[in-house]
Amino acid sequence: MSVKNGINGWAGSILRINLTTGAITTEDTLPKYKPYIGGMGLGYKVIWDEVPLNTDPLAPESKAVFAIGPLTASGVPCSGRMNMSFLSSWSKGYSIIDAHMGGHIAHAMKYAGYDAVILEGASDKPVYIKIEDEKVTIEDASHVWGKGTFETNATLTKEAGEEFDVASIGLAGENLLPYSTLITSFGNSGGAGIGALMGSKKVKALVVRGTGAVKIARPLEVKLLSNYMIKELVGGNNNHNVPTQPQSWSEYTALPANRWQGGPGVTWDKAPGGVIDTEEQKPGFINVAAMRCQKGVFDFGAVAEKYTVKVGGCSSCPVRCYQEYDMDPLADYDLPTHVSNTCMPIISGKSIYADASAVHDFVDEKDAGMILGGALCRAQDEYGVWCNYGNLYSDFYRAYNDGILKEHMTEEEWNSVNWQLMLDGDPRWCFEFVRLCAEGFSAFGVIMKGSYYMYKEWGLDDATKNSAGKNYYDEVSGKNTNVTYNGYPKHHSSEDAWQSGLLFNAMYNRDCMIHHLTNFCRSGSPYEEVIKPVLESFFGPGCVDAPKAYTPINENKVKLAKWAFNGKQWHDSATLCNWMYPMTLAIDPKRGYKGDLDLDAKYMSAVVGEEYTRESLEFECERISNLLRVMTAVSFKLNCGSDNLRVDHDAIPAWVFDKEPDFQAFEQGTVKMDREDTKKAFDMFYEMMGWDVETGLPTKATLIKFGLEDCIAKMEEVGLTLK
Amino acid sequence: MSDKKRFLDKDFTRRQFLKLSGKSLAGVAMSGTMMSTLGVTAAALAEDKVRVWAFPQGLLVVNPDRCVGCQRCEINCTLTNDGCCSSYISRVKVTRNLFSSRNGTGLYTENNWVYFPDTCRQCADPACGNACPVKAIYADESGIRKVDQDKCVGCGACTAACPWHMPTVNPLTKKSSKCVMCGACVEGCPSGALAIIPWDEVSAAAQAI
Repeated sequence: MSVKNGINGWAGSILRINLTTGAITTEDTLPKYKPYIGGMGLGYKVIWDEVPLNTDPLAPESKAVFAIGPLTASGVPCSGRMNMSFLSSWSKGYSIIDAHMGGHIAHAMKYAGYDAVILEGASDKPVYIKIEDEKVTIEDASHVWGKGTFETNATLTKEAGEEFDVASIGLAGENLLPYSTLITSFGNSGGAGIGALMGSKKVKALVVRGTGAVKIARPLEVKLLSNYMIKELVGGNNNHNVPTQPQSWSEYTALPANRWQGGPGVTWDKAPGGVIDTEEQKPGFINVAAMRCQKGVFDFGAVAEKYTVKVGGCSSCPVRCYQEYDMDPLADYDLPTHVSNTCMPIISGKSIYADASAVHDFVDEKDAGMILGGALCRAQDEYGVWCNYGNLYSDFYRAYNDGILKEHMTEEEWNSVNWQLMLDGDPRWCFEFVRLCAEGFSAFGVIMKGSYYMYKEWGLDDATKNSAGKNYYDEVSGKNTNVTYNGYPKHHSSEDAWQSGLLFNAMYNRDCMIHHLTNFCRSGSPYEEVIKPVLESFFGPGCVDAPKAYTPINENKVKLAKWAFNGKQWHDSATLCNWMYPMTLAIDPKRGYKGDLDLDAKYMSAVVGEEYTRESLEFECERISNLLRVMTAVSFKLNCGSDNLRVDHDAIPAWVFDKEPDFQAFEQGTVKMDREDTKKAFDMFYEMMGWDVETGLPTKATLIKFGLEDCIAKMEEVGLTLK
Repeated sequence: MSDKKRFLDKDFTRRQFLKLSGKSLAGVAMSGTMMSTLGVTAAALAEDKVRVWAFPQGLLVVNPDRCVGCQRCEINCTLTNDGCCSSYISRVKVTRNLFSSRNGTGLYTENNWVYFPDTCRQCADPACGNACPVKAIYADESGIRKVDQDKCVGCGACTAACPWHMPTVNPLTKKSSKCVMCGACVEGCPSGALAIIPWDEVSAAAQAI
């Protein structure tokens, strides 16, 4: 029980479980990890100190850190996320990455008294970790090994008892495939290969219950700040701040449509007690906040209402970005009808049908995407398959249609696949496809090792080396507006946020998962009246561009990029949900829609009882940004022989500059970028970060500024030259 | 006097209301205004999908269909009453219904989408108070039953006796706590799954029928 420790915010303990020896130990979180806040920062520090960066990510010497932070389960809205840090088993450089998981298990872990769980070593038989406050055991999991996550989660919570939450891996993780997830709650997942990491240690699941509490320095202040946020600031998912459906009080309706879809006449038709109308959601009223999002209606239109039972999401979050469906049409195919998900799989059902003409509606006009999406997300969650933000689908689609897939399967293997399901637009294809992926069957197993591996293995990184004559990185086509040279996709990059989006997309070893800029860009608020004045009041003139009306780089755009880059580290360390925070825009017209960028620091001060400011938090987070950069540099040196991250890691793919050939960059109507301007943008960004402009490596002065002297020694030891 | 007439009586009291079950409440012909006041549909009432409890301050309406599982009721309960954040010691309880609960509801059961907050019923004849060996549970001037922290010995008899196991002994303080009707859970519920309708509003809505 964390209150026992007398510490505000943090639980105070880290749990370390060695699967090789069976040793279970605890250590104090503070003071060693306080400079790294928690979550991502804590996880990076553990890996940096304990795992050599040329370690095989799936070897027993590799570790996975499940970490939360001082704001997790503190009462602060949207504080239900857990961060998992480990070495990538699939992206170029095999460096440090994170997976992020919602649901309710982060709260359970904090209430059990832990800021982090470190898994190390490897078991020789399937096990799961059972945590009930101080009582931590390694339990036999042979009865659930090989089972899907839905059955596993049901079995283990039933065995453990009421109030136990669970997160488990599926077949993909057991089979050590990099495109694998950990699944909790109903459709909440952490991806990036955490399933394979756990699979390599033979850990099927974490089962957690906590009867403790998180001590709060100023609890009333936390409650009042939370009420203020829910009443005045927070809107739909991605903090979209004006409703799409007209509401009587609302000055604007979203244009284009956004993730605030609730409103009069938008309903949950399958609520057991009868249809529930989401009604008006006026600012100032807490009790309507959860009705705002209605993500399913954003995804599929009104047809989503027909199968909606209610909405769900994570602990402490009033936004509820998960639509909870009972999709009757799936029963006709003997598929499960209960489906819940919020992002890629649910909106991507059609994308694994390689012949688009096969896709057909089921009961209502335009319900195909929803029904197939429902089948796909249920299948992916069942088998614990990760999509790498859509790369799985586009890589399959391209390889199938280019004939590449068939080339890499024997005739017998090819004929054993039930392609007819795909050709018929049958939702059972989703399960067939995902099963083949999770089993690593034939060429599907290559796709599941990630784009970077697949392109290299099949010569798709060089147009002269494959029968399609294509370079899958640089190809400019409708199915490639995504992939980068490191094997991961962009995630709300220049297509949403000009040069600023490009800059932070290049910083990580997976898709950046930063929503700072897309949240206001796609808010649906009018650009001239709301977005531009609010953002310029924070970051100065010229920091933002109108949609498809970009301008050359300037210092304020770089400032914006740096704020988002450091801010993501903050959210994954705190932990707060980066899909919602920061509160840049607000819902309340009386505020002029201006949000509150100091809110995070106000929360931190009230929870921890020490005074934080926006600037002081950004400084702490810039330490984590630099640690990320150092770890990336060391990995690239050890694993790729690279001395220069600017060239070998941060390269921007050609399609960013070459798409939309009828346009020049900075013309009205395009989001394409200019090569010279981008080069200048990176120069300015590196300089603002205190990094060597030529190599993109942090300078010694910068590392000293953040107390990272040990990084200098390690970098020089591996042969990197620092300025 | 029929239930309907009593419900319409201006001087209708909590004690009288307690005699009405959810079904008999539904039996009262209620206007759209009344239903809207309660935030529920006629179908929900007819099928007992909505739980209605008479409290000293008014009618507590728990609508499981609207519960979105965010646990903010527990968060606000403990922030308000305990100065910390916790599920286990919360006086309103949703976490125990959220995963694999004893009644077969929760995200990991066949009834995936059925989860809801359990609340203290503020029973007229309280099993918790009757079971307490040191008589630590008393009714205050408003009729709200509370635990006298000085008297409580943390034995857990109240937890065991309550049919819904609502009182909880805090593992740290070794003292029991139970709902004190502070309203923090209701105030902070972002989906309107919990609502308190003050008695004067219930009467006014009934008058409007």
